[in-house]
Parts: sequence; C-alpha cells; structure tokens
Amino acid sequence: MFSIVARRMAVAVLVLAFVLGGIATAAAQPVKVEFWHSMTGSRLDVLNKVVADFNAINPNMQIEPVLVGTYEECLARFRAAYQAGQEPGIVQIYEVGTQAMHDSGMIIPAYQIPERLGENWDFGQYIRPIVQYYSKDGNLWSWPFASSTAMIYYNADHLRAAGLDPNKPPTTWQEMYEYGLKLIEAGVVKNALSFGWPDWMFENALALHDLEYANMGNGREGRPTSVSWPNEFTDELLTIWSKMARDGVWIYGGAEYNANGAFQSGEITFLMQSTSSLDGILKTVGDAFEVRTTFLPRLSDEYPRGNSLIGGNSLYVSNRVTDEELRVIFEFFKYISRTDVAVYWHKNTGYFPATNAAVKALMDEGWFTQSPNHLTAFLQILSGKSDTNASAGMRMGPFAQAREWVRTALEKIANGEDQRAALQYSAEQINALLREYNEFFE
Amino acid sequence: MNRFPNYRFLPYWLVMPSIIVIVIFLIFPFAQAINLSFHRVSPFGQLRNVGWRNYVEMFASPEYLFSLRNTVIFSALVIGVGLAVSLCIALLTTQKIRGTAFYQIAFIWTYAMSPIIAGVMWSLIFDPSIGVATRIISGLTGYSINYFTEPVAAFILVTAASVWVMLGYNICFFVAGLQNVPHNLKEAAWIDGASPWQTFWKVTFPLLSPTTAFLVFVNTVYAFFQSFGMIDVVTQGGPNRSTEFLIYKIYRDGFGRMQEGQAAAQSVFLFVIVAIIGAVQIYTSTRKSVYDR
Repeated sequence: MFSIVARRMAVAVLVLAFVLGGIATAAAQPVKVEFWHSMTGSRLDVLNKVVADFNAINPNMQIEPVLVGTYEECLARFRAAYQAGQEPGIVQIYEVGTQAMHDSGMIIPAYQIPERLGENWDFGQYIRPIVQYYSKDGNLWSWPFASSTAMIYYNADHLRAAGLDPNKPPTTWQEMYEYGLKLIEAGVVKNALSFGWPDWMFENALALHDLEYANMGNGREGRPTSVSWPNEFTDELLTIWSKMARDGVWIYGGAEYNANGAFQSGEITFLMQSTSSLDGILKTVGDAFEVRTTFLPRLSDEYPRGNSLIGGNSLYVSNRVTDEELRVIFEFFKYISRTDVAVYWHKNTGYFPATNAAVKALMDEGWFTQSPNHLTAFLQILSGKSDTNASAGMRMGPFAQAREWVRTALEKIANGEDQRAALQYSAEQINALLREYNEFFE
Repeated sequence: MNRFPNYRFLPYWLVMPSIIVIVIFLIFPFAQAINLSFHRVSPFGQLRNVGWRNYVEMFASPEYLFSLRNTVIFSALVIGVGLAVSLCIALLTTQKIRGTAFYQIAFIWTYAMSPIIAGVMWSLIFDPSIGVATRIISGLTGYSINYFTEPVAAFILVTAASVWVMLGYNICFFVAGLQNVPHNLKEAAWIDGASPWQTFWKVTFPLLSPTTAFLVFVNTVYAFFQSFGMIDVVTQGGPNRSTEFLIYKIYRDGFGRMQEGQAAAQSVFLFVIVAIIGAVQIYTSTRKSVYDR
C-alpha cells in the first residue's frame, strides 16, 4: 500500500518535472506563427526574403511561411485545418474568398487586432481602393498585402511593325479589335490578344463601367440573390469578344497565367493580365522587345466611368491565436506595412505598395520615371472612382464557383458558341449557387 | 485443419496490423464519406442534413451526366487503344530483330515518368501559341489547335497523353507474357499450316489472356483514378468541363467549389461503379482466362 503511494508520488514528480522543463525550454524559444500562402514563381523568393528579414530582426518571434498550393487550395485547406484545430495563425486568401471568410466565424477582423492588443493603428495609411475592397461597414477585415489590378501589356515593336503608333495603344474594345485585325493583316502575329484570368476580366469590364455584377448593392449591402447579367452591356461587350474570337484577334489563353508565355515569346501583341505579372514579364522578355502597359479598354462613353478591380490577396488571422501569437502577427503586419518593405515588395513583384508613404517614397526616388510600367496600374486605379458598390468590387459567398461558370461561358464564346445563350446558362447556374449559399443563413 | 496447433490467437495477431490500417485508412473515411453524402457543408464547416438531395441532384445534373459519359469514353479509349497499341509494339519488339533490347527499353522507359511530368510535356508540345506540335500541324494543314478552348482537342490530348504514359507499363507486361508463350505450340500451328494471323489469334492471344485481363483491370483503375494528375496539369477539367472526369470532378466540387456533401455523394457512387467493374473483371478473368498450358 505504502509503496504504491510512494510510486505514484514519484511518477507525479516526474511528470511535473517534465512539464516545467517543457515550459522553461518553450520560453527560451521564439514564438512561432505559421503563415500559409500561395505565392509561387518569382514571388515566392521575394516573400521568403521579407519573412526571413523579419525573423532576423526579431529573434524572439518567428514567422514560418508555408506554400500550401493555389489560392483555391489555400482557402479549402485553411477551412479543413480550422475544423481539425490545425490552422495557421496567418493565412493568405485571394479576393474571391472575401465573403466566405467574413461569414466563416474563423477569423479576427483586421481592425480588431490592434484593439485586442491595446494598441492603435491608423488604417488610413493604406491606399484607398484597397481599403474599400476589403472593408465591411467601414472597417477593414483583412490585412492589405498583395493587391493588384488588371491592365494591358503590349508589345510596342509589334505595333511599329504593323505601322501603328505605339504611343497610341487601343482605348476601346472597338479599337482593340481594329488594331488586332491590322496586326494580323500585316502578318506580325496570328493572334493579337489574350487574357489571364478571363473571368476576372469580365468582372473588371463591368466595374470599369460602374456596373454591378450582382444584386444587393453588388453584394455589399447584403448577400446577393442573383447576378445582374446578361444585360445590354454584356451583350455589347461579348458581341465584340465573339467577333474577335471568330477573326482570330482574341485567342483564349487558359484560366490563369498560361497566356503570359504567348506574350513573352512574341506570339501575341496584347495581354490583359494582373499587374502582379509585371516583374516576371519584364525579366523574361528582357531586351527581346519593348514591353509597355496601359489602361484596360472601355466599351464606349455611353456607360459611366467606374474603376478596375482590386485583385490579389490579403491576410487573415485565425481567431484562435493566443495573445502572444497575436503580438507576433501584429508585429509582422506592421513590418510589411513599413515603407522600405512595401517598396521592396512592390519593386520585385509588381503588386501595389499598400501604403501611401511607400508610394511617396517610390515617387521621390524617381522609380516611376525609371519604370513607367510600374505606374500604369496605379494611375488607373487611383484615377477611377471607388465610392460606388460597382467600382469597389462585388462580394458573394460562392464566388469561386461563379468565376468558374463565367469562365465556362467565355470558353464557349471563344469556341464560337452563341454568347447570349452561354452567358444566360452560366448566370442561371450562379443564381442557383447563390440560393444554396443563402440557405445556410436561413 | 488447425495449422497453428499451440497458437490459437497467433493468426489474429499477425493480421491485426493490416486490419487496423484498413479500418483507420479505408473503412473509417469511407463511412465518413457516406455520412457526409447526406449533408451539405457550409463554407465555414456547418453540416446540414439534406437526406437524399445530393444524390437526386447529382443524377439530375447535366454536368454530372456529361462527366460520367466522358469518363466512360475516356476509359474505353485508354483501355482499348492503349492495350491494342501496346500489344502491337510488344509483338514487334519480341520479333527476332537486331537490337530487341534497345527497342524494349526505349518503349518501356516512359512508365518511369510520372503522369505529372508527362502532362507538362504534352501540354507544352501542344500549347496553342508556343507548342511545337501546334506549329507543325498548323504549318501543314493551316489549322491551329487550341486545347484551351476546344473541348474535343482537349479530350483527345488528355486521352493520347494518358495512353502514352501507360504504354511502357502495358508493353512491359505484354513482352513478359509473350515470352511465356511456348514456342512449340506456335511451331505446331505453323506445321499444321496456320497463317501468322491465325497463329496469333488462335494460339498466342488466348495464352496471353491472363496478362490481358490483368492489364484491363490495371488500366481501368488508371483511367478512373490515376488520370487525375494528368488532368490537373494539362486542362484542369476544362474547357467547358470536357475533361472533367469523375475523379477530377469530385476533387473540384469538394475542394475548389466547396461542395463537400455533393462531392461525397459522387465518391460513393464512383465507389459503387468501380466495385462493380472490379467484381466483373475478377470474375471473368478467373473464369475465362486460359491459365492451363
């Protein structure tokens, strides 16, 4: 009897020693926070450098970047990991996931992070359209990080070769069509134009003309119940796209970045793509030809002016982090908002520097004169409006699926099918998805 | 009867590790999938019981039926064309010609390549704007293939690439099978005046049937499940879902479109399909194949 008690006590002491020992060693180690992201290609090294620099100057903090796959996979994995209690502290989510993240109940809204730590942070320092995009009821819900928008990249040498003025790239879709025909006629290229992210280009076209994508104030005043198209505008736009596809001016270039290859090898003249491809394209093309950039084309001035859309991604924080971890996360967020870091990020990726101070620093050092292509997207997004629901960007739960349906419609159109029927079918599918999503909130 | 007289429980202990692994990694997830197939999952993980709705909608969905149809065509092509081509090549490489070993290795090595790598290669070769094959074909015929937009082109590309990837494996087994066909039987047939064509169909092919039956099964499994990597690299199911085969659709619905419930229902149905195919093939291969010499 006595010996059993003694043995139990011995065991208890041992366990206690282990636990205390564990705590003691833990205190000596830096606080680790995982950071899940989808930065592939040349952006991966840039991101790793930013994180490594942060870790180097903060020996008691450690951010561990983990590349978990595409944006889509990152979102799906975060959700699955959260349910299993294995989620990272920070997760990078693309703009498509905004509504789903807001509805998820898994995150701390960005504006509450400083509050919870008893600190203040001025969110007014970020570029306005970015703040607008990621805000809900006037408060920022995710940390601005890698924001981009779409623009036209063009091969100035091609325009010269076809006898066109490289200083006058097309400003309307009609002009784009005519330029394309001339380029093909002159034998410069076989196809003139391709897009990355075709579904996003469709969204951009609507926003650029201040037209809403979905009802309920573009999904910004409530959960949308249906999309606002097909309508007169999409009809006109897609008629031109159909003609361009028929005449070989527009060649469909896949879902994401496949079209970049065609542009870089001089197979096409115009590429509509995210600004985040800028540095990759400039590096790959080198001196092979002159890369220039300009604003997205408009349909006509019958429609009001809106803005191109913010794309890219922002950072969310799990609502299960400890205060200790949150402190690390906040320090990291402050670090990436530092002017020198934002400048480095912008110069090496083409993403917007998120803060006004960084823009000023870039301007002061003459960066935009030295590399005017880095200015294009800025001028475009800052010169457009961002105070309407249409131009601020739509928000919907099943956004990823909606994009897929739009892409399906565009693939059909590129393949010569009737644009009205194609778009109508996709709209119906999206409306069904919206109904299904809203059922979760009944 | 009692093979382990003094160790009554030993056999159970010995199979225990496999049983545990099977229960944890197969039975338990499968049960979960069945459970999930009766639910809808919200984007933030709530489950809502919807009864048979996932199944009902699955069979009513044109996209699902389209995917089912395409999967059947794809599998039939991968198995039919793939095995026919491999058998021809295997026959050629087992002829008495100079450099047999070289040809056999040259044809077999493709199996060492992962479907992903093969997919990247094929997608670059047929890239609409920078692909070598696209250039050659458009130079010869004036027609440029664009598998990003043309459903048929994408389907053929994926099928051809899948057949190509499996060639090495199939040839390998056919060559082994052919080498096991006793030469004296063929000689006997020749002496009796059978033409090479007759000798092949009456003697060689029946004797190859165990190999063929095995390869049919392996290729079915490949077409249904392992084509995933190829699709993911080359077309991502597009364009217009023409290459979204059942297994890829499950992945897209479950992880891309965040419809886990619907995806679970599809995977249960896919399990039923494959179980039936497997049972039929094992039944026919054990009954019909000629194992006796």
